[in-house]
Amino acid sequence: MSDEPLLRVEGLKKHYRVTKGVLFSRTLGHVKAVDGVSFTLRAGETVGLVGESGCGKTTTSKLILNLEAPTEGEVLLDGKPIHDLDGAELIAFRAKVQAVFQDPWSSLNPRMTVGRTIAESLIVNGWTQERIKARVSDLLVQVGLRAEQATQYPHEFSGGQRQRIALAAALASHPKLIVLDEPISALDVSIRAQMMNLLKDIQAEQNVAYLLVAHDLATVRHMADHTVVMYLGKIVEQGPTESLFRDVRHPYTKALFSAVLEARPGAAADEIELKGEVPSPLNPPGGCRFHPRCPFAFDRCSHDEPDLREVSPGHNVACHLYDAVETGKTSDAVRATSPAS
Amino acid sequence: MNQDTVLQVRDLATYFELRRGVVKAVDGVSFDLRRGEVLGLVGESGCGKSLTALSIMRLLPKGGARTVRGEVRLGGENILELPASRMRDIRGRRISMILQDPQTSLNPVFTIGEQLREAIFRRAPAKTAEIMKEAVAALRRVEIAAPESRISQYPHQMSGGMKQRVVGAIAMSGEPQVLIADEPTTALDVTIQLQYLKLLKRLQTETGMAILFITHDFGVVARMCDRVAVMYAGRIVECGPVAEVFERPAHPYTRALIASVPKMTGERGRLATIEGQPPSLLDLPPGCRFAPRCNLAEPQCIATYPETADIGPAHTVSCWRSDTR
Repeated sequence: MSDEPLLRVEGLKKHYRVTKGVLFSRTLGHVKAVDGVSFTLRAGETVGLVGESGCGKTTTSKLILNLEAPTEGEVLLDGKPIHDLDGAELIAFRAKVQAVFQDPWSSLNPRMTVGRTIAESLIVNGWTQERIKARVSDLLVQVGLRAEQATQYPHEFSGGQRQRIALAAALASHPKLIVLDEPISALDVSIRAQMMNLLKDIQAEQNVAYLLVAHDLATVRHMADHTVVMYLGKIVEQGPTESLFRDVRHPYTKALFSAVLEARPGAAADEIELKGEVPSPLNPPGGCRFHPRCPFAFDRCSHDEPDLREVSPGHNVACHLYDAVETGKTSDAVRATSPAS
Repeated sequence: MNQDTVLQVRDLATYFELRRGVVKAVDGVSFDLRRGEVLGLVGESGCGKSLTALSIMRLLPKGGARTVRGEVRLGGENILELPASRMRDIRGRRISMILQDPQTSLNPVFTIGEQLREAIFRRAPAKTAEIMKEAVAALRRVEIAAPESRISQYPHQMSGGMKQRVVGAIAMSGEPQVLIADEPTTALDVTIQLQYLKLLKRLQTETGMAILFITHDFGVVARMCDRVAVMYAGRIVECGPVAEVFERPAHPYTRALIASVPKMTGERGRLATIEGQPPSLLDLPPGCRFAPRCNLAEPQCIATYPETADIGPAHTVSCWRSDTR
């Protein structure tokens, strides 16, 4: 079993029907929010899922949390398909896979003490009162709060503290995987670093895996072992964070990287400014979905959809520029052509 | 007052008078904004950066907020003393503002054209046909494709980036000398943010207007601003040219804030953090407001607030320990 990853996502698709009319509704088309996504996640590892709004990263995380059923494809946890689960198995799954969402103001029930919120999953799993109490105290201390704060209500805490409480609640049932959907973007700059360090410490202690959904590349670089870049429902590039950040290949990823505003003056030397905006997922462009905005697009890109292919160990790119990578010709040409020129 | 200074703010203070006490949200803010420059105002939530902007615009939220002292001089005239009717003439023409969320800045039940027309008409009343022509030109200036057809659309038919461009077109239709941009790109995606910042910079170069750019993002400061002022708990603690402040931050808070931002290059190890929380604005310490979180703090820091001192060309700081860096 050592080769089997904790989480395996295979050919995942989620299409939403768009209809018109109430009684005799017609189907106008399908929004292909997620359209054939595959990746794996090992125990104790972090995968960063990046992309702009509408790229399907949140839908992917909802499918993995089993909050949505896929149109096609599978999600396997420890080798078992999660979307077939029900009853006791589903409860066990929910204990194993937890989530922390972006907004700490809306994710905590304002009428419950934080101790009760944290205990929720333990109550569901039938723990005794005493064990619950001890566990809640441990969890609060673990996330950097005090045990006696269990009796307080969410409004008595700051945003950063609330996000710690949400994390404590997620950790309560000893999960193997936590989906972190933009866990720090609602927090203040000085609090973000505290939260990121805390997440890393907890991972080191408990060997929990994270699926980090984020739009900030620098955050992903600090947190993730493996990075997946999505555009309009598809993975355009993925690889080990170190090698991907060192050698960005896909033109979209390049544009995304060059749009990162680095906190040092004069850093903006060779940026690619993309023209236009992300097209509607209701009617995505044919061929490569990025081709209408791509500065390197050629004939083939508009009718032939590129597959992911390996460009270096574990590093995959879906782009026709790398089709001839075996001969070594095209890829060198691409790298020689600086995007800014 | 320097020839080039278009906006001079001196000892501006805005308090919320609540039953529980006085919240000193802005407590003695001073800065100059020169023609053609972009001044960044950075800080964390609750530091008073947005309220500073609203105090300048005299658009304070209802419910007890009051500007209790200070001066805001626009072209030599203290606009805090003007009657409300004169202030209405100034807003949108000599000083404009762009807010964070384009969704709420635009009225959902009017078309883009109607909202632009209103702004243009207020500046220069003219015949409808002429104003329409001007509205189309204004949309073209903010790089909206096919402005003739866009003009009859409603805000919900546009993307976030496009809406924020329309807000920009409205704000700039009066050709203001000063534009206050309060986190204008925070709600936008990164690639759209870059487009918007470039547009703003180009329009600024063309018109020579001065921009007060409020943000919490040091990346945006590095890209957009000429000078930067760092705010903490209602006061500016450091102000200087962007390159100077990034290379030689003098205030421990500025230094800690810059260090806590994850970088795209270099080490991936632990991030530096600032422990603790900002002080309650209801009960501010007498000394330096950052002292309780500062690892350089001495008894003097806790006892008295440091004077603002010059430490380099146009670089000022309020810190007793700025020599130790």
